[in-house]
Amino acid sequence: MDKLDKLIMNRIQGDFPLTGQPYKQLAQELNIAEDELLTRLRVLKERGIIRRLGAVFDSKKLGFSSTLVAAQVPEEKIDKAVAVINAYPGVTHNYQRAAEYNVWFTLIAESQERIEQILQEISDKTGAQKILNLPAVSFYKIKVNFNV
Amino acid sequence: MPNNLWAQPTLQNHLYKSRYCITNMSDQNKIQKIVRELQADLPLTSYPFKEIAQRCDMTEDELLEAIKNLQEKGIIRRFGAVVRHQRMGITANGMGVWIVPPEDAGRVGKIMATFREVSHCYQRPTFPDWPYNLFTMIHSSTVAECEDVAARISEATGIKDYKLLFSSREFKKVSMVYF
Repeated sequence: MDKLDKLIMNRIQGDFPLTGQPYKQLAQELNIAEDELLTRLRVLKERGIIRRLGAVFDSKKLGFSSTLVAAQVPEEKIDKAVAVINAYPGVTHNYQRAAEYNVWFTLIAESQERIEQILQEISDKTGAQKILNLPAVSFYKIKVNFNV
Repeated sequence: MPNNLWAQPTLQNHLYKSRYCITNMSDQNKIQKIVRELQADLPLTSYPFKEIAQRCDMTEDELLEAIKNLQEKGIIRRFGAVVRHQRMGITANGMGVWIVPPEDAGRVGKIMATFREVSHCYQRPTFPDWPYNLFTMIHSSTVAECEDVAARISEATGIKDYKLLFSSREFKKVSMVYF
């Protein structure tokens, strides 16, 4: 990323112009041509620096339930467990962390009941020794931008 | 996938259950169409909203108005690029977990939220073998810097009982497909 890419990245993460020609407006703000901005955005996407350009929804306000799940999976069963867990479309993030609870994933589903049901299925299918359902009870911060 | 997802009762119920005053069917239908477009990628063309509006059977102005409305209601939390921060050089990501007296969680959570490197700060339930109730995602370019941020948070809040769990493998990272 050169200097202009960084300026674009810092600008594009929020406050997207909701106008007929949003890229033209952004390009004007950045003092470049619309075509140059579009070309650079395509490259930033191809390189995977931009994962998606669009809206981030509040799942709760759309009527969905969400949670963070911690699972204890024996090392030798992790790959199989991850395949089972990742197969659920509502699993959006999944990481291995070096701790007693070693698999951590986020899960969004249409209800608390469905979340419980999915966790039971995962428990049955993966051989996870323990699973913690950790839905947020208070929100202190959800960040918007990563500046570079 | 059926064309009319509203035919599925569970999906039909979503927006009804929502506390955000979406009570009539045509509104729900409209919002569902918009969500389906905006949870995906905005076209990289000069008039991206015009394309989406056509697919949603509405005018560009109606769509832009609807998006602003969804933003005001907080249903859209943010509009813009979702990034892979690892590829922006922010490669160390530690999940800080903290044992905070429940009556002190509000004060501590607010202090934690002021740290630039903290992207998310939530309170979550505890279990007999999991006493950590506050969670902070800490992002920086190195593990050492994340550790330093955690030490400064500890200093600022007076919370000494914490762990920083770094991700060793990423198994999945996608955006939710709601409808």
